[in-house]
Amino acid sequence: MTAFLFQRALSFAISVVVASLVVFVVLEVVPGDPAAFMLGLNAAPDTVAALREQLGLDAPVWMRYLGWIGGIFTGELGTSYTYRVPVAELIAARLWVSVPLAAYALTLSTLIAFPVGILAAARRGSAVDAGVMGGTQLGIAVPNFWFAMLLVLVFSVTLRWFSAGGFPGWDAGAFEGLRALTLPAIALALPQAAILARVMRSALLDTLEEDYIRTARAKGLTRGQALWRHAVRNALIPVLTILGLQFSFLLAGAIIIENVFFLPGLGRLVFQAISARDLIVVRSVVMLLVIAVILVNFLVEIAYSLVDPRLGRRV
Amino acid sequence: MSLLRIEGLELTIGDTRILEDIALSLDAGDVLGVVGESGSGKSLTALSIIGLLPEGARLSGRIAIDGREVVGASESALTDLRGDTVGMIFQEPMTALNPLMTIGDQVAETIVVHRRAGWSGARKTAAAVLERVGLPSSQISPDRYPHELSGGQRQRVGIAMAVALKPRLLIADEPTTALDVTTQAQILALLRALARDEEMGLILISHDLAVVAQMADTIAVMQGGRIVEQGESSAIPGRLKHPYSRALFEASTHLPPKRARERGEMLLSVSNVVRDYPLPRRAFWEAKRALRAVDDVTFCIDRGENVGLVGESGCGKSTLARAIVGLETVQSGQIMLAGRPVAGLHNTAFITRRDMQMVFQDPYGSFNPRHKVGRLVAEPLHLLGRDAPDGAARSRSVTNALEQVGLGSADADKFIHEFSGGQRQRIALARALITAPALVVLDEAVSALDVSIRAQILDLLAELSGRLGLSYLFISHDLHVVRAITDRVLVMRAGRIVEAGATETVFASPRHAYTRALIAAAPTFGRA
Amino acid sequence: MSAVAVESAGLWRAALRSPAVLVGGMLSLAIVVLAAVSLVWTPYPIDGVAIGARFAPPSWTHWLGTDHFGRDLASMIMVGARTSIAVALVAVGVGVVLGVPLGLAAAAVRGSAIDEVIMRGNDLVFAFPALVIAILITAVFGPGAVNAIIAIGIFNIPVFARLARGAALSLWTREFVMAARLAGKGRALISVEHVLPNIANTLIVQATIQFSLGILADAGLAYVGLGAQPPIPSWGRMLAEAQTMIALAPHVAIVPGLAIVLTVLGLNLLGDGLRDLFDPRLRGVRR
Repeated sequence: MTAFLFQRALSFAISVVVASLVVFVVLEVVPGDPAAFMLGLNAAPDTVAALREQLGLDAPVWMRYLGWIGGIFTGELGTSYTYRVPVAELIAARLWVSVPLAAYALTLSTLIAFPVGILAAARRGSAVDAGVMGGTQLGIAVPNFWFAMLLVLVFSVTLRWFSAGGFPGWDAGAFEGLRALTLPAIALALPQAAILARVMRSALLDTLEEDYIRTARAKGLTRGQALWRHAVRNALIPVLTILGLQFSFLLAGAIIIENVFFLPGLGRLVFQAISARDLIVVRSVVMLLVIAVILVNFLVEIAYSLVDPRLGRRV
Repeated sequence: MSLLRIEGLELTIGDTRILEDIALSLDAGDVLGVVGESGSGKSLTALSIIGLLPEGARLSGRIAIDGREVVGASESALTDLRGDTVGMIFQEPMTALNPLMTIGDQVAETIVVHRRAGWSGARKTAAAVLERVGLPSSQISPDRYPHELSGGQRQRVGIAMAVALKPRLLIADEPTTALDVTTQAQILALLRALARDEEMGLILISHDLAVVAQMADTIAVMQGGRIVEQGESSAIPGRLKHPYSRALFEASTHLPPKRARERGEMLLSVSNVVRDYPLPRRAFWEAKRALRAVDDVTFCIDRGENVGLVGESGCGKSTLARAIVGLETVQSGQIMLAGRPVAGLHNTAFITRRDMQMVFQDPYGSFNPRHKVGRLVAEPLHLLGRDAPDGAARSRSVTNALEQVGLGSADADKFIHEFSGGQRQRIALARALITAPALVVLDEAVSALDVSIRAQILDLLAELSGRLGLSYLFISHDLHVVRAITDRVLVMRAGRIVEAGATETVFASPRHAYTRALIAAAPTFGRA
Repeated sequence: MSAVAVESAGLWRAALRSPAVLVGGMLSLAIVVLAAVSLVWTPYPIDGVAIGARFAPPSWTHWLGTDHFGRDLASMIMVGARTSIAVALVAVGVGVVLGVPLGLAAAAVRGSAIDEVIMRGNDLVFAFPALVIAILITAVFGPGAVNAIIAIGIFNIPVFARLARGAALSLWTREFVMAARLAGKGRALISVEHVLPNIANTLIVQATIQFSLGILADAGLAYVGLGAQPPIPSWGRMLAEAQTMIALAPHVAIVPGLAIVLTVLGLNLLGDGLRDLFDPRLRGVRR
């Protein structure tokens, strides 16, 4: 088990390093002189020189890379060129919106998808199953940001139950904060839940065909007992895979949805940084997103080994 | 009153009638053998008894277990019955156990669902049951998972689950088909002992008449969803009445006529061959590990000679076969065909490999389903390079190959899915013969076939060998078949050849202990 | 037993009996036809500003109404379909053309260093969601429809590479591939002659699904301003512009969204239907 963990952790670390190289090359090497790029064509040469100085661009490329990587560990990510505040502070503040939003949406979609998928599989071929299959087919086809707009139209503009956007901050109380994140989380969660429910259903249907389900039934388990005790846990393995893959969609979705609701999250930050050509902010936000995706896949692998005794003990 | 009484049982699934007018009975402590080829309805008869039929199945007639009626019984009555009154064991030990649950818990679950017992008590009972079936916790802990066990051990777990509550009736559906012959003998002995000690009725379902004859008190022969013959198993071999059961018996004891063949000079020589597989390292700081699949093997085959290679699964016989035909690279040693090395530079290897072809086990997996038979059979002509016939000459050689195996030129335009398993093995032979090879390697080539088809293919092989002067390397786990068709036999175990000699000599007086064990374990007619 | 037991004639008959394939195919076809027609004809020109006719609800003169410039929404949708389809189609093409050969090559030399490099490379690309790639490209080169194509296309490469490798690996263990090796055929020839035709169905199904994901991703990128830029109409931009006026004229926001939903729904139905059709094991199970 420790060897397994070590191996996975090592490959996680390698992935992060290689990904950081890619991000660094695209944002710091491809544009030529990042300082000139950020300031645009009309910048005065001495302004550019000053920025070069501030960014430490006169150091060799590999030094700059190491400095940046070191900064990721120490939290010294440089100072935003447009905001004039340390990038680390900027990101930390935005994370307090983006991470709760993603977690809220993930929780909602799992809470919806698992029971719905299990129900559809248990009642395969019934009207319930047909309804779930039809509903989820539609759910997959709906772009989450458009769904968000419809939610705003119905619940904010027409019914006035929620505000149409903005975020009061957690200082206004946990309830107010969650309330502001509810519509965005639903908009993110439902299309996600549709995919997850379908995966859950088909994974369950596959496991229900397995020989060991027949064995369990021959031992005297009812259909329901065989489903809960034997099929669900086995079906979790493919579901976990999809859950891991879906995380990157969730992340992308959250960034887009923040725009619909004017939430001060990472998404707003990175789009503003792009239009301002603030590469210092962009590289750190992008790196953060990439690390998040790699980390989630790492966690999914660990989760596999907890669910499946065939993994982990011997690799 | 008998323990099990089945009368006028009919089963239809959808619009297809599967079982017709089945009548069986069994007393406590007795063993009933049910024999039939694939599709005869023997497994569905078993599933009917415990009411576990696929969707859309309709059952009529009577099935009484201890006087309790199963046909039309409520689902809750059936769940009470399953696992408690009737235990069932399935064929595939690899897939019949839940991979995520410990073996102890899987056995304990039978007890928990029926006795409303707590898990801790059930686990104690389960450990005792596992000990009874030959898995004492001192050797195999009940906390192990199925993937940590061998096939035979898993099948013992399957038996433990079925007998945990001492059912009155135990149904074993092909319980040893997926196992090696020595393991099969142990499992059959265990089943016999359990039935005797616990006064259980045992239904043993098998395609293998010899297995059933050796185990059962009474026997039922099934064909096409009907029971064609039923009686005392002592009627085997002599007094079977129905033509089908007689044919089944003859096919399973079939010996193709051995012709005197001319032995020529040495064709294949295998000297000191070693094949290692690298194993994945558990962690990168550990040393590299390797599995030695073939360990210093030396033998030769003369022209016109048929040599058998027997051994249990995992002994390295298939690896050796693939190395001989050049599909595996060997770490050391040399393989020569007619004086030329098999693994040579591209072109020389091509010339060598023309003289050698192979027939595989699976009649379904051996052919690209998207190609027509003509193209499939012609594929080895690629080895001829520029000398390969084209146009009319090519289709003539395809027709010629098809005719040699008893098929016709019209078959070249069909897709492979239009043929039965036996016909497909004929097509596989035609493909092997098209380059007019001197040696054909047959890797379990008749193992997937029903006995009656197997007999026909064996006859064809014997006839071709005699007519074309072919040499065979005939690889099989089935001693009976090897004895039937080969002149000389090699016995392989754990990568090494432990015994070699003329087939009759080896079978009549085996020298190596392993060979003796293999021969003793193989089921034969006449009760041991 | 074999997935190809159905000949092409039988497949067509089965397709005509499958409601998923029929409905999905017709929806997808309708969108493609609309996009194609927009090349030569639209009900109204899409660059004309008619402030007087702005925010008109759906009517006989403007079937789907007009937007804040008085432009005809039906015409905008038709032209926007062109962008979406072009982006998604080229992105799928990039994924297939680069991903499938990589996957086939990796499977053919399973366990070798080449396989390892290809698969690690795939894992690396998977760490960059399409949106992140688009952010990277846009930050350096500025926004545009080509960015969307590159971003979604790169994202598609490992999808097809993994799928092709996985499906090919199971074929490489089949005995007919061994028979081909025995006939002296090389790994490349076997990949083309025996492996590719037998995984084509799986690839077609996945291409349909990636096409629909591409439409969704393109809409998302255009919505946040990383995709096609004005004056090229795109469904995502239409939604972004409609958002601020949603209380005033909801139909301007609803219409492009419905266009996306119908397109994606059609492609998904087609993909699912084809999967059932190609896999006889699944036939009849779903319904």
